[in-house]
Amino acid sequence: MTKSEVFYDGFWHNNTIFAQLLGMCPLLGVTTSAENGFWMGAATMLVLLGSNLVVSLVRDLIPKNVRIPAYITIIAAFVTVVGMAMNAWMHEMYLILGLFIPLIVVNCAILGRAEAFASKNSVSDSVVDALAVSAGFTFALVVLGGVRELLGQGELFGFALFGDSYPDVLMFILPPGAFIALGFILAGVNLINRKLKQRAETPLAVTTTETAEAK
Amino acid sequence: MMFDRDQARMVLAIFVVAVLAAAIVGLTDIFTRGPIAQAQKEALHKALVLVLPKHANDAQADLLTVAETTIYPGKDALGNVRGFAWEVIARDGYSGSIRILVGVRPDGEIHAIRVTNHLETPGLGDGIVKNHDWLQSFAGRMLEGTRWKVKKDGGDFDQFTGATITPRAVVKAVKGALAFYNSHRQAILNAVEEQNAKPRGAKVSEHGMKLETKID
Repeated sequence: MTKSEVFYDGFWHNNTIFAQLLGMCPLLGVTTSAENGFWMGAATMLVLLGSNLVVSLVRDLIPKNVRIPAYITIIAAFVTVVGMAMNAWMHEMYLILGLFIPLIVVNCAILGRAEAFASKNSVSDSVVDALAVSAGFTFALVVLGGVRELLGQGELFGFALFGDSYPDVLMFILPPGAFIALGFILAGVNLINRKLKQRAETPLAVTTTETAEAK
Repeated sequence: MMFDRDQARMVLAIFVVAVLAAAIVGLTDIFTRGPIAQAQKEALHKALVLVLPKHANDAQADLLTVAETTIYPGKDALGNVRGFAWEVIARDGYSGSIRILVGVRPDGEIHAIRVTNHLETPGLGDGIVKNHDWLQSFAGRMLEGTRWKVKKDGGDFDQFTGATITPRAVVKAVKGALAFYNSHRQAILNAVEEQNAKPRGAKVSEHGMKLETKID
């Protein structure tokens, strides 16, 4: 796989949320606003970058039978480091997300990348994969957080868009709203994928009609 | 031999990973301990400025401990006490505990309150942080003469649309804070007096002596 294929695969085709439906705990917990989703994604990105990098570096040194505990230890170390750093330098955001940061350890998406990708691929590919997967994850968190914030509070990134008269739809702030919004987003993603597939399957016909129209 | 070669390799691998992970976490702890303490101090300072009446001292440096409660006194430049602030924790909110910093004047009247940490639902229960009119409705209240309940329960404080549990918990906790002040007022005032009497600068101790007469 080339680097761009790795990126496309991690960001979109195998998107943690949209395609694999993994990492639902942080997804439901923190996406009450776009900003929370973004910072949760950023924290996950730091952890995934670290764990993919280290796991691919030591992939030949760790015996197969004990790889899972070794990976989990590596991931847990990075999560603790990110949590401490956030507490120190982004204290206000830490107060909001603090509860969910330690839970990144058990985000199966991260162990999944260590096991399925970093343990089998080169360091540079693993870094690209980490960036792609976490960017895709962050994108999904921001989209879902944005939809819930917009429908639930009439705001986006904290800015009121509809004025004071907007009747807050409480359901979207509460966990059931996350599932409902996610369902509609997944439907949209499938629609886009179908369109992409159709376009990919009929390249000749499209080119001929286009040339015909051009003439 | 107890281990064969493969087992020894496994043990060694896990051991090395664990030691390195512990070292990294330990190093990070050393580097972040200072900044974390600083960030917490700054967050508390911001809240103290809001809940205490205008004061000139470093309320965190002058902290008192009365009845196992940490109390931050606000004093003017002469050492006269202007108010006290301390944290109460409401454990009956919607999710997790709500930490509230309550600022009272020496006579037991609330100056202001601020929620310093909570896990309530954003957009619902977090009105206790965002709704300034609601926070303002605590100013000037005393233990007596106020119905310490939300309006739904026949009290003086608004609940929020769709969220009653959160404000109810906060109102109850603030009431508890005032009850604490009323029953420990003399002990708290004595503690300030004692602090002012310590030779930390002639000015402060001199005026500290007048404290008792000034307040009653």
